[in-house]
Parts: sequence; structure tokens; C-alpha cells
Amino acid sequence: MKTFSNANPRDLPQALTMIKSAQAGGRSFVIAGGGSDLLGMVKERIVEPDVLISLRAVRGLDQVAQAGGGVNIGGLITLDTLSQHPIIRRQYTVLAEAAESVATPQIRNVGTLAGNVCQRPWCWYYRNGFKCYKAGGNTCYSINGENQFHAIFGGGPSFIVHPSDTAPALVALDAKFRIVGPSGERTVMAADFFTLPQKDAAKENVLANDEVLASILLPAPRAGTRSTYHKVLDREAWTHAVVSAAVVLEMDGETCRSARVVLGGVAPIPWRVPDAEKLLEGQRITAELAAKAGEAAIAGAKPLRKNAYKLPLTKTVVRRTVEGLAKLA
Amino acid sequence: MSTLDDKNEISRRSFLEGTGVALLVAAEAAPLANAQHEAIPPVPRTAIRLTVNGKEHRVEAEDRWTLAELLRDHLMLTGTKIGCDRGECGACTVLMDGKPVYSCSQLAVWMDGRSIQTVEGLSQGEKLDPLQKSFMEHDAPQCGFCTSGQLMSAKALLSRNPHPTADQVQGALTGNLCRCSNYNRYVEATVAATAATPAMAHVSEDMAGEKMARLKTVGHATPRIDALERVSGKATYTNDVHLPGMLYARVLRSPHPHARIRSIDVSKAAAMPGVKAILTHENCQVVWGAGSVAGGVQYNDPIKKITQQRRYAFNNPVRFIGEPVAAVAAVDRHLAEEALRHIEVDYEVLPFVLDPEEALKPSAVQIWPQGNLSLNAQNEAKPIGVKRGNIQDGFAASDHVFEDRYSTTFVHNSQMEPRTSVAHWEGDKLTVHTPTGGIANCRHDMARDLGIPDENVRVVCQYMGGNFGNKNQNQDADLIAAMLAKRTGAPVKLELSRKEDYIGMHGRWPTIQYYKVGVSNDGALKAIQLRGYSGMGPYRKNSGAIGGIEIYQCPNVETAIHPVYTNKTVSGNFRGPEFPQGHFGIQSMMDDVAYKMKMDPVEFVLKNMTRKAGDQDEYTNYSLDECIHRGMAAFDWKKRWRPQPGSDPGPVKRGVGFSFLAFRSGLGHSNAVIDVNSKGNYKVHVGVTDVGAGAKTTMGLIAAEALDVPLSKVEVVWGDTDRCPYSVGESGSRTTIMTGTAVVEAARELKRKIAEKGLPKGEDILVGSAGPNPTVEGGKVRSSFGAHFVEVEVDAEVGRVRVVRYLAVHECGRIMNPLTAVAQIKGAATMGIGMALHEELLYDPQHGQALTAGYYGHRVLTHRDAPNVEVMFIENDDGYGPFGAKSMGEASKIPAVAAVGNAIFNAIGKRMKDLPITRDKILGVMA
Repeated sequence: MKTFSNANPRDLPQALTMIKSAQAGGRSFVIAGGGSDLLGMVKERIVEPDVLISLRAVRGLDQVAQAGGGVNIGGLITLDTLSQHPIIRRQYTVLAEAAESVATPQIRNVGTLAGNVCQRPWCWYYRNGFKCYKAGGNTCYSINGENQFHAIFGGGPSFIVHPSDTAPALVALDAKFRIVGPSGERTVMAADFFTLPQKDAAKENVLANDEVLASILLPAPRAGTRSTYHKVLDREAWTHAVVSAAVVLEMDGETCRSARVVLGGVAPIPWRVPDAEKLLEGQRITAELAAKAGEAAIAGAKPLRKNAYKLPLTKTVVRRTVEGLAKLA
Repeated sequence: MSTLDDKNEISRRSFLEGTGVALLVAAEAAPLANAQHEAIPPVPRTAIRLTVNGKEHRVEAEDRWTLAELLRDHLMLTGTKIGCDRGECGACTVLMDGKPVYSCSQLAVWMDGRSIQTVEGLSQGEKLDPLQKSFMEHDAPQCGFCTSGQLMSAKALLSRNPHPTADQVQGALTGNLCRCSNYNRYVEATVAATAATPAMAHVSEDMAGEKMARLKTVGHATPRIDALERVSGKATYTNDVHLPGMLYARVLRSPHPHARIRSIDVSKAAAMPGVKAILTHENCQVVWGAGSVAGGVQYNDPIKKITQQRRYAFNNPVRFIGEPVAAVAAVDRHLAEEALRHIEVDYEVLPFVLDPEEALKPSAVQIWPQGNLSLNAQNEAKPIGVKRGNIQDGFAASDHVFEDRYSTTFVHNSQMEPRTSVAHWEGDKLTVHTPTGGIANCRHDMARDLGIPDENVRVVCQYMGGNFGNKNQNQDADLIAAMLAKRTGAPVKLELSRKEDYIGMHGRWPTIQYYKVGVSNDGALKAIQLRGYSGMGPYRKNSGAIGGIEIYQCPNVETAIHPVYTNKTVSGNFRGPEFPQGHFGIQSMMDDVAYKMKMDPVEFVLKNMTRKAGDQDEYTNYSLDECIHRGMAAFDWKKRWRPQPGSDPGPVKRGVGFSFLAFRSGLGHSNAVIDVNSKGNYKVHVGVTDVGAGAKTTMGLIAAEALDVPLSKVEVVWGDTDRCPYSVGESGSRTTIMTGTAVVEAARELKRKIAEKGLPKGEDILVGSAGPNPTVEGGKVRSSFGAHFVEVEVDAEVGRVRVVRYLAVHECGRIMNPLTAVAQIKGAATMGIGMALHEELLYDPQHGQALTAGYYGHRVLTHRDAPNVEVMFIENDDGYGPFGAKSMGEASKIPAVAAVGNAIFNAIGKRMKDLPITRDKILGVMA
């Protein structure tokens, strides 16, 4: 690793001061949540900061607070705490299940929600030091290379898939992201937070490098809402999603009032499939309808040479997740 | 600054605490005479307070230190291990405020105000935590390198849930990998830790098979003699060795799969304060003999003399990504790594080839002037093969002829302990601390490579974190550390990162196998032909053979296997070197033939399996029928097997598969020395290190039995060439047989002396020694036998395969220690499941670079992936080996891959011909 200095701000204003000071001094910096993955990238020199600003000591951003019927979740809450939280488990099940599906207990004990949402891609070219779009280059090596885990939607010029499990859940829950930076605060919808590579191939979201994803607001769940996260892994534990589905259904008896179907592992961003949602809305969910939603979910997919298997996989995952969720009493 | 007392770790430790500035020097442990005068640029540090195992520490930590680094190198708590340094294995797990975290993935300066518990903090003085006791009783640690981490995760679980289910334990321990794959035992031990009546692992001592007379000590389930060290963090692995004034070394590796080095400029790196020596191919021309042993034969002086394809510690041209180009020794590991960045190498990039069949085409780049067909020890480029009968006559006499192609990939040993070597010289004498399964071979190799007498080399390995075949000989890391230590006059510790370990050492050779098989209408084999290609990387570190055909009886056999040079990481030994991949090919092929002949695959095997070795030599005993019949009955094969493969309705389909083995169990030369003192205490000196299989304990049991004394009167001395005689290396599953026989012989001699002279008086000792080299009489062949039965569940719509039942039946002669023996079989079978379903060091075809180096990428199995493996032993005593022991450690890996593949066929009706059998391939054939 490159030699760097670490900063342990105690609160967000102090963190922002440290950011400004690094900027003023012309020193490169990165901001760490739980820091596990970032530290790994620093060791491998994929990231080479002069200053590492760790938010580990920041207080007050690790809570779930009820707010206006919904909840306000601090970005620094650990994935473990989040997944165990009674309100999240009961009312935002998809998020609890997504958080619980991440990596291992050790990583969930320090890994934060914001860190998981902002995690850099796990494309094996990027992670092995290839000078690709994500590393500031102008090529995506997966196109003519090994692309079995790459994007079938939204690819180009980079074909990474978004690595986060909680991101699809947050998009499906219509979450709002509160972003804090040196120039102030702003709030964006989860769906607008994530950006396709055609916008900026080096990035996965709208966060500037001096901004912090401070908290996440979830709206109050409507009556009859149920949700779940279904993740397909490449071994029985501890891989990123090969394909995943975050599904939220608002049910009125056996009829679906509204639906959210958001996929992980298939695109450079959490991939919402409105066509599948529309099929479900206003309908009684049957096995046939769930199958149709599965078909709709892969419409327009553009597989690469080695990832066409993700089409039948995605179709099945959506069908089974919708069907399973609808059956829940 | 004061001079440090480096001789005493305890005094160093107390010195460190609470002394901010002085800590910096002490911490790096590298006060070379001139180091203190060099102006090493300061690095950022932060004063922190943390509690470790209940004791508060004030430390001025470098910002870049990980928590693991702080604990291990500065607080000297080396029970916490570093397996990957990347949050992918769990060996470094500690509790932070009661919760398990990866200490490799936490900066020390993030721990300000936190409370840390390590494995050293589990026991209360001498009183062990119930978990530690349970781990010992269940033989949960094999190599022990992952044990501290497993313990800490289990501790956190039991703190919040004192009576967990097995499923909850699996979930809590999922972030802790065990490459010995002793997952079943870790789960059982954790569940049992708080049970009302803690019990030993359930191991039946009532073995099936012939009732042999029970022995007093051998054959009884016995916890390891070093189990306490393995569960308390006290076992000393190579990286736990800290020497006064020690330097740290790092290796610069080739970024190109094939390139000529035009020039190397080390001047900038050499000028960095704190950098002590730099080696390149220009100033270090040491030949690494064992790195290219001309076809898997034992490297020796005649081969060294004649070999045309020499592998040096540093080569030019470089022939694979990861090949060493330069090495730096510096006063600090971070500084050494930084210095690599300042070495400027001018490469002429050359074309490369990755695929062995491609490499044999005339258009392929020639990796060696002699061509890409690998040379053997006699410098001949020719395929390996056997010929029996007449293959064309065999096909002519066949009623049916079948042809197919199978392939297997490069998989890495992935042992938990990454390569480390610590070398230092006292005058002309070199001491190397290194993880090796063969201290004697390692010493011999080091002496030969360095051109010094054997007696001037001491090799020490007290504990090692797994081997599985890639730590048998000396390694280039040992040579590089030794040369750097020589140059600098200081001890040098060379550490490989996990990624370097994957791409810089070796793994199992990938193969392509073309079979042609002829059978008669009654299903009898008439002819087997195999044309095979093995990718060796650019050096031939092992034979490249493809094994398995020999376990069938067939009058006409012809094989031609081509070991081929490629520009991938070097191939070498990995548990059952040529067999798991060969058995996958031939046993998938034969399984397929059986179905096509409308036969039950087990019936087909019973008709065609080996009855004599090579169809001509009698076995010393033969138990294949018994293994298979007992296994069929216990597994309920007839009921579970689907005559119509893929016939289960619905997407979730079950199927069963079968495979079998006969594995060499030869006798051979090894040594043992036993002494006894006036009190009747015995010391058994054997050159074992115990790769994890339990050799120390096994040798103790054999000695106690042979001496007719309790095990408590026997001490085993191991792992140090200055204290142990030559013993055969722990490879080829032969330690129990060969070194065990030497122990029996040495005990016999000692007993004769005691009978003659009585016990020694005063300080005297009596010594018995033996170096037998027994042979089997009458041209017979010793073999161990076995049969595996597997049931899988395949979700054909998502391509997921789960092993739901696994039965391994083995005849390995007499079982020395059922507790460790069962764990060997379970672990190897589980590894085989990983090879069948997931593991691969995948290469980018356009750049020749490995993309999956590391536990995450290579998909080493987790707790969640490991099924319960049922083990059944059939005991026998053929009159050879110590009390009838035969080979075991590798045996269970060999048939496992094929059994899983065959079960998948039975479930889905599609033959999976290319490893690993991943989701994409299953969905591909189901589409």
C-alpha cells in the first residue's frame, strides 16, 4: 500500500473540515465507512490516497429513527445492526434480508449501509489492476474477455454489475438519500442516485468524491405491503449476487395494488423492471402471472458471450420471488 | 535511542507498552548497526488506547498498520493468523467489543477506545474455555491455521446463543474458511461445547470388516498430542517467528506472461533509506532445482548436471505472470513493498500461449528452444504412456465403441497459510524456518541449490498451515530469503501475499482428455485409449500424468499423455497429484458407457474393476468388492439410483453417483530414533512436521504401541533437521506407512537393548534407531481401496447443485487413530466437491493473467457448502506397514470429483464434461 495518513473525525462537520483541508493542501483522499473493502483496495494500490478519512468514530449516524411515519437510517449503521433491527425486519423486510445476505458476519459487523451502497465494483478486471474505465482508463476488458458475471442490461461502455445487495432493496423501497458535502446538503431519490456508465464510466453514482451518504429515508410502508430479497450466490455463502431480486408488493387481499421489482447482479445499477411491475399491478397474482413477470424482466437484455445463462436465471428468480411473496399470508 | 533487548520477547513487550517514541524502533525489530543512522522518512502515526484481552495498551501506531499487524508484530499476540490479508478467509478473526471482525481489514488506528479479544484471551490462565476443550476433543483443528478464527466466531455466537443448532453454527462461522475442510467437526465441536455432557466426536471404533485383534493404543480415538497448542494460539507457524534485527522481504513479479528483460534499474530502490539488498537475475543466479524437476522424479545431482531447462530463482526471460523478477530486503515490510515500485524493468514483451493443445501447434510460440512438449529427466520430449495388448485388435473385438472429451482446470492448493520463509546465517550455517512437509528434502534441496554441504543447512518447521502438495520441497522463496540474508548479514523474513501464493507457487495441472472405449455386448471392457494434454506452466514441476485407467481391468490399453509448457502459473503436486482430474475423466466416461449399455454404473464397475494391479500383479489384500457392496447397502443405492437419469418431475431433481478408487500404498525408506531415560520416559525423534493430518500424534501412538507403554510416557520430537533423522516427506500419503514402520523398528531395537541392559541410570539414555527400507514380497502390490456414493439435488432452473448425502467407504488397512482418520476422509471428499462444482484459477485469454487468485475468486468452499460426509472404514491387516496401516490422506479426494459429476448426470440426464460444473454450464445444457 501507499503510505497514507488516517483521520478519525468525531462528527460530520469535523469530517467536512478534514476534507476541505485535504483539498486545500492538494492531497488526495478517500472516505471510509466500515473500511473493510476500501482498505483492501488501498493494500492492492487500486486506490492510493494521501489521506484516509474514516467515519468509524462519527457518532449519531448509526441509528434507525422513526420519522414522519417512515424511518431515517443513519448511513453508518452496520449491516448487522440493520438486519437485526425489529422495525426494519418487520416493515422493510427486503432491506433486512438484503443486509443479511452480504458477505460474512465479520464484514457485516463493521460494514455500513452507506459503504455497501457505495461499494466499488467487484469486476475481476478492475480488481486485478487492469486499467479499465473504472480505474480511469478507456476500455472495458470484459467485452472480449471473461464476462460470465457481467451486465446483461445497461452495459456500455463499462459492463460491470453493481455489487451492492442493499441498493436494489433501497430502490424498491423508494428510498431517499441525504447527501452531505462541503457545499451543503442535498437529497436524491435512490433511483436517481445510481448512474449508468454512459453518464460517467468511472463512477457508479452521483456522489462527488468529497460527499458523504449521511442517511437514508424510507417512506412509511402502505398497508398490505410485503417485501423480500432473493439472492443467487456463486457458492452457498459469501459471494456477490450472480442475480438477485428485490421485490415489494402492496397487496389488497389477493390483488396487487402496486409492485416494485428491482434486480441486482445484472446491470451497472440496481435494475428496475417497470414492465414486470405493470403486469402485476391491479392483478391477482397467479403462477401464470408471476411467470409472465419473469419473462418481462428479461425483455431487452443483451447478454455478452458468456453470460446468457443469466437470462433464464433472472426469469426464474423473478417468477419465484413474486410467486413466493404473493403466497405469504 | 537505546539499544533494544531483542533476545527476550517478554522484555520487549513490556518495553513497548506506554513508550510512544521508542515503540517505533522496537516495533520494526530491525536495528541493524547502521539502520539507526539512516534517515528513513517518517510515516504518519497516531496515539491510540485500546484494551486487548482485558489489558489496556497505549500505542503510537503507524496509520497504515492493520489491527492484525499491531496484534502480531507489536503486541506479539501471534495466535491471530493472516491467511489472506483481504477479508476473505477469517483466519485473523478477533472480537471487537464482543463481535467478530477481520483484524486484517481494520486499521489499528480505528481501534481507539475499543476492546479486543484474541485467542490468547479465551482461557483464564491455565483453565481452558469450554470451546477450546471441545475443539480439542472433536479434533476440530487439522492444520490449525484457521482455528483461532473459528474459535473467536464460535465464542461470539455462544455468548449470545449458548445452545445453537448446527445450522446456526454454520451461519455464524461462514466467514471462516477451513481448507482442510474439517467443517463438520467445527460445527459439532461448537454445538457440543455447552452441551450438558460434552463428548468426544462420535467416532466408531467398531470398524467393519474382518475382526482383528484390538491393540492397546493404536486404533483408539485419541486427541492430538499438540491439540492444546492448536487451540490456544501457541502453535508456532513460520510467520510467528520473530528474530532480532530481522529484515522484511518482498518480491517484484512479472506483469507479463512471457517477456525478455532487456534491463533492470534498481538504483532508485537501492538508494531508499532502509533498503538493505536487492536481488535480480543479474546478481543472483541460483538454480531452483525442485522448481523444475524434470517430470516429477526426485531432483538429484545427476539431474542437476544434465538438465537443459534450468529454472533459476530469477529467470530471464520470464515465462508467467507472477514469476519473480527482483526481491528487496528492507527494515520494514511496507518499505520493502514500496521499494519494489522504484525498480525499473524494461521488458520486451513476447507472444504467449495458455492452452496445452494450442501450445503443441507449429504456429505456437516456443517457450523453450526445445519446444513446448515438456522434457523429462533424460531430456526427452515424449508423451507419457502405457501400452498393453493391441489397441486396434481391442476395438475390432468390441461390439460398441464410445468416444468423448473431458477437461479439468487449474485449481490451487489454497492452503490456509501463505508462503513465508525466515532465513538467517550464523557463519556458514544457514537456518531456514519454512512451512514444509519434508524438512529433510528441503534441507537437501537447499544445500544442493546453494552449493553447500547438507550439514550446513538447518530446516525448522514446528507447525504448518496446510500443504496439500505445494510445500513438499524447498521453494524459491526459501532460496531468495537465504540469499538476501547472506547479502545483508541479517535474518530475513520473506512473506508472500495471498495473491502471490496463488500465482507464484503451483496448483493442479489442467488437463484435456480424449477417451475411446470399446466394450462387448455383455459390458466387458475390451479396449481403452486415452490421448491427453496437461498444462504444466513453463516449468515441469511434476509429471503431468493423468491417472485412473489402471483401476479398470482391460486387455488392450494405450495411453499417450502430453505434458505441455504453457505461460500459466506452474503446475505441481496437489493432493493425489494426477488422479482427481484423471478419475473425473475416466470415471465419467465409464459411467456414461454404463448408461449407454443400459447397465447400473455400479454393476458395470463390479464387472470391470481392477482385480490385479496392472492386470497382472496380485494385491497384498483386496477389498474393492467389500467396499462397494457395503457402501451400496448403507447408501441404499438400488433404491436411490434413477435408471432413467433426469426423470424426477419438476425443476428440483435428485440423482446419485458412484466412483471408486485403488491408491498406491507402497513401502519405502524412512528413519526414526527413540531414546529412553532412567525414568522410563521415551523421546521419539522423527522428521515429520505434520501438515495437518496428525502425523505427530500417529507417530506417538505407534511408538507407544510398539514400546508397550502408555502414550503419556512418549514425547515426540519433530520439525527440526538438527534434532530429527531423515524421514520421508509428508507427501504421497506415506508418512504413517514409512516413518511409522521406522518407529516400530526403532522401538524393537530399543526394547531389545532395555531387555539386555535394563533402563539407563542417572543422566544416561539408551537409544534405538532404525532406517528400514522394506519391500513387499512376491511382486505383490499394496493398495488402499474405497468407494464413494453421493446424492445431489440440482435445481435445474437456477443451476444450483447441493450435495445432500455423501458416503465414503475406505479400506486403508488398520486405522491408527480413528479420530484423525475420519477427519482426513471428510476433508478430502469436501475438497473434491469444491473442485467438482466451483474451483478454478481462471485466466484472461488475452492477457494471460489469472482473474480469480484468492479465496473469494477461487470459490473455496465455506461452512455453508460443506455437507455432512459419512465415513465408513473397513479394516484389514495385510502384514505390512506399521500394524497394517495403508495410505489415506489423498485417497478420499481422488474419486470425489467423479462421484459428484456422475450424481449430477443421474439427476439431470446431461453429462457435464468440463470442470468446474458451474451454474452457467448447467443452465447452458438445460436451456
